[in-house]
Amino acid sequence: MHLPKREDAMAIKDILSKLVKRSEAITALLISREGVCISKAGNVETLNSTALAALVAGMFSATREVANIVGEDQFSILLQQGEKRHIHISLIGQRNMMIVVFEDYRRIGRVRHEARTIGPDLIRILESREKSKKEDSGDISVPEFREYALNLIDRIFVVGEEENASS
Amino acid sequence: MVKRKMPHLDPTEKQIVFKIVYFGPGMSGKTTNLLYIHKTLTDKYKGEMLVLDTEKERTLFFDFFPVSLGTVQGYSLKFHLYTIPGQIFYEASRRIILVGADGVVFVADSSADRLDDNIEMFRLMKENLRSNDIDPTCFPIVLQYNKRDRNPRLEIGEIERELELYDIPVTESIAIEGKGVMKTLQVVSKEIIKRFQIS
Repeated sequence: MHLPKREDAMAIKDILSKLVKRSEAITALLISREGVCISKAGNVETLNSTALAALVAGMFSATREVANIVGEDQFSILLQQGEKRHIHISLIGQRNMMIVVFEDYRRIGRVRHEARTIGPDLIRILESREKSKKEDSGDISVPEFREYALNLIDRIFVVGEEENASS
Repeated sequence: MVKRKMPHLDPTEKQIVFKIVYFGPGMSGKTTNLLYIHKTLTDKYKGEMLVLDTEKERTLFFDFFPVSLGTVQGYSLKFHLYTIPGQIFYEASRRIILVGADGVVFVADSSADRLDDNIEMFRLMKENLRSNDIDPTCFPIVLQYNKRDRNPRLEIGEIERELELYDIPVTESIAIEGKGVMKTLQVVSKEIIKRFQIS
């Protein structure tokens, strides 16, 4: 669960932007272990970040199981090499991952270096916002949220008469 | 154990994301549920559907698509829908996909000869939830009796009796025809919202 303070979230985005610039990557995303995109920087328009986050989270968890089978706790880095684009995935603490998409494979050393360098800063921010998550969500009134959300569910997940399987 | 978790909530991105997992034995209709929901929702509410299956159309890892319901108190309200692979040997994948789940639809096969499969998979699900620090006794689970057109079929209540489930919400469906699918989604999403809290 992640509830970043606004300034922390902006700091995360800044860190990712610097990584993109320094490593000449296309994009960088920070995702949760649950498969939700937390922050992104660079050229994010052309990628389906929602699907990417879900898939990479699954892939990384699967890799952890593989690591266990061969006697490791986890593999901290995954690298996928394509013909034109490549993906560097690194574990950020125990609950998050960073995805860097880049094109020039000769930049791999730089990508790896930048990813390693910013890891501690990201972990520090993520840990601090975890501690302050309750106060950051003060703009949500839970009873009202529930009421509006239930109305949306009724309106959008529409149950038609033909839907009844028991009749 | 066991802590109650919150959904993914992000004040900067202004989004709240709940994860719903369709669980159940192999060939019970989990992917069919998702395909029908995806077909039924209009484009503005749904994202692209990922189907990671084998050449025999059995789910290999998971199926997934996001649903955006709209804005509530300035936050974009989203549900991420997943299925698990139902075949018994994909134990590790099932555990992975349940990470961060906010609710589960257990898709049971109503065929009379599949009672044992349903029960075994329900027990595995509870183990998988516990291994993810989720207490199945206070977690939104909806039991969907799918394939109600099968004969002979299980009576409603048989699975609950075998597993000593009390007060579990139950729906009936014929997912291949779309019957009961949206109802089930409505029930599970409401169960999740009713338990939503900021802790």
